[in-house]
Amino acid sequence: MSATQTQTQGPHSLAFRVMRLCKPSFHVDPPLRIDPFDLLAGEDFSDDPSSASLFRRHVSSADSLDSDLSYRNRFLLNHPTDPIGLSGLLLLPQSFGAIYLGETFCSYISVNNSSTSEVRDVTIKAEIQTERQRILLLDTSKSPVESIRTAGRYDFIVEHDVKELGAHTLVCSALYNDADGERKYLPQFFKFVVANPLSVRTKVRVVKETTFLEACIENHTKANLFMDQVDFEPAKQWTAVRLQNEDCHSTEDPPASDLSALIPKSPVIIRSGGGIHNYLYKLNPSADVFGPTKFQGSNILGKFQITWRTNLGEPGRLQTQQILGAPVSRKEINMRVVEVPAVIHLNRPFLAFLNLTNQTDRQLGPFEVSLSQDESQMEKPVGINGLQALMLPRIEAFGSNDFQLNLIASKLGVQKIAGITALDTREKKTYELVPEMEIFVESD
Amino acid sequence: MFTESSSPAKDPDSPESETRPEFNPSSTDSTATTNPNTVQTAIDSDSLEPTTFESASSDLPPERFNSLDELTHDLGSLHELSTRGSWQAILEKISQARALFLLTKPHEHLTYLTYQVMALVKLRRSDEAAHELNSLHDFDGTHYRYESFPEIYPNRKGSMVPFSLRWLYALIPTKLGNRQEGLDRLYVLLDFVRDRIRDKESQNLDDSVELWKKRERFVMSCLLGFHLGHKEFGVSLDLIKGLLNRDPLDPVLISKLGSVQMQFGDIEGAKATFDRVEKMLNEGKSNGLLNETQFKNLVGRNKALVYVVAKDYVSAVRVYDECIERDNSDAIAVNNKALCLMYLRDLSDAIKVMESALERVPTAALNESLVVNLCSMYELAYVNHTDVKRTLNNWIARVAPDDYDSSSTRV
Repeated sequence: MSATQTQTQGPHSLAFRVMRLCKPSFHVDPPLRIDPFDLLAGEDFSDDPSSASLFRRHVSSADSLDSDLSYRNRFLLNHPTDPIGLSGLLLLPQSFGAIYLGETFCSYISVNNSSTSEVRDVTIKAEIQTERQRILLLDTSKSPVESIRTAGRYDFIVEHDVKELGAHTLVCSALYNDADGERKYLPQFFKFVVANPLSVRTKVRVVKETTFLEACIENHTKANLFMDQVDFEPAKQWTAVRLQNEDCHSTEDPPASDLSALIPKSPVIIRSGGGIHNYLYKLNPSADVFGPTKFQGSNILGKFQITWRTNLGEPGRLQTQQILGAPVSRKEINMRVVEVPAVIHLNRPFLAFLNLTNQTDRQLGPFEVSLSQDESQMEKPVGINGLQALMLPRIEAFGSNDFQLNLIASKLGVQKIAGITALDTREKKTYELVPEMEIFVESD
Repeated sequence: MFTESSSPAKDPDSPESETRPEFNPSSTDSTATTNPNTVQTAIDSDSLEPTTFESASSDLPPERFNSLDELTHDLGSLHELSTRGSWQAILEKISQARALFLLTKPHEHLTYLTYQVMALVKLRRSDEAAHELNSLHDFDGTHYRYESFPEIYPNRKGSMVPFSLRWLYALIPTKLGNRQEGLDRLYVLLDFVRDRIRDKESQNLDDSVELWKKRERFVMSCLLGFHLGHKEFGVSLDLIKGLLNRDPLDPVLISKLGSVQMQFGDIEGAKATFDRVEKMLNEGKSNGLLNETQFKNLVGRNKALVYVVAKDYVSAVRVYDECIERDNSDAIAVNNKALCLMYLRDLSDAIKVMESALERVPTAALNESLVVNLCSMYELAYVNHTDVKRTLNNWIARVAPDDYDSSSTRV
């Protein structure tokens, strides 16, 4: 039941026996137990009340017999919930099982003296070896075990938080004096592999000022994972709020009943072998961080701290790497449509309010705002009405300029306002309007 | 006088209890009626003599029966054998009764068939059980209704199918490996039971209503066990809700909810649930199915589980000891205490606790899971564990009932 072990040359007086000691589990075994009323007579026998009461008497007089050799509890129901098969009996782990990053590896190790004579001065060591390191779990060299008698044992329990993936070896070794006084060395190796329990896939979407972070957690383990805690820790420059559906409380339970207090809201349990659960967060720039610095520095959004639990609360903990947001715009000039009228008609001019922001630390401009001249001759859905070019004065460092444009839409339906450019006449650089404003064009 | 009173002139639709002037339900023995053809048997609380008047009892209509044997041939003996786990003996009795044509009434055949199917499933011979079930007619047809045999059951209506037979029929596919079919049959059975409840309620048959409601909880509990075993927690929680709706003051049921929460890892939820059960103990609230010791032990075991989860095995052992002191046949407390000792590195004492329970209270302690745990401990403690396991196996063979699964020792 232990992991694969390899032994070196014998014959040794001692031997290691190892058992993984994850949490025990509840034994669920629906039993073959019945209510005697369901067996001793037909199901409608008790329709007749006097038959029913006679029947009850005879059954209870039969049941009052209590012999020592009665296995009535293997056949007759004691309590109405017995058929569930959840008696509360705990079962020891029956196999090594799978082990995942973030869990704690715990093992019972027993050193047995299976020889016919005592061994003395036993130094026992247990360590975990991975590709990258050796971690000492136990070392009795400072106070060796004086002796282990024949058929005797020395037991210990070791624990190790698993922080690496891949092959691990639990190395148990004993240095001892055998019956002949010879100093012997017994190493035993127990190998196991640590796999990745989860994958976290993220998507970042930016809508105007708000950044949305969607995380999909997929369970690669063989057990269902109860998500105890999934916390997104934003980087300094962000604040994060989790968005979720309000749990719809069942309308079946009367509001005053105890039941709704007793039965929890649906817990988040991700099914084994590929189940997923999605989390959505809304990120806003922190209150104390203003415009300019937002666009400097990194675009790190933050990371996830995840704690899950399996059987009997066995915990696992992981954190993700830093999650990166959309590439930060390093634009020097940002031109955006700020406001449009509520109703826009086809082929009828409307007034749009725009903003041109200088995101650099030096004066820029003056600017000429016009429709960009495409190679393609296709008519743009939204064009400038009237004068095709607008002159804007210079803008100070980190300053901005609000202006209006008279626009006209030539196509129906949802259209993007795009294709408008600002030309810095001094530096001869062209900046595109951020094409995020959508309008709905109605017919006349 | 007897035969006259068993078929009074009355409206066939009214419940029969209204027309039984001679029968006095408060009498503690059934000396109220005598039949010139039989000698009455006095029932006292601890005798269950198989009646020696088999031939005479076949004249008695089933609504007058002085013992289980008068209801069905040798029923008392079958019942006792079943509580001893002597399923082989039951199978022999059944084939003997059939060979000697001792069963005369249709309901007797059905009862015997139910025992036979039950015995075969208990002995893990489910394919033979399935074969026996094939000989059945449709449960709901006229073959199995009392009113189809008015000369044998002059005043009885309804189905003579023992409910356990319906249940076994639903269980068999799962035993044969076809879980989906098994689940389907159980859900069909649940619908059937719910129809019967509505039926009996509309006829004001209170005793029957109670029985059918018990059957509803029984089937729901079976389904819960099935879904839990497959870690289908969503459905399981819904079923528990349904059970709690019917039995909101059942501390055992609420404790099982706590165990389910613990099983999927919601420790805080489990603690809150167990706290409620403790509160019910302190306030003296329950549905009356537990005596004081059982209730205290239930609360104790819940508390100990919380300690186990927190890895405070010392406190868990202390609480389990209290339970064992109150009731030394509390096999769950014994088993779990042994596991805690092991997690405390004390494998020797863990083994001692298990072995001593098996010796002291074998009928309470001998169950396959406890033995599996003990064997795991043996495998860890002894390099040559085959010997000690074989000794255990031999002891079990002497003491265990027929349906005990000896593969639990893994010898």
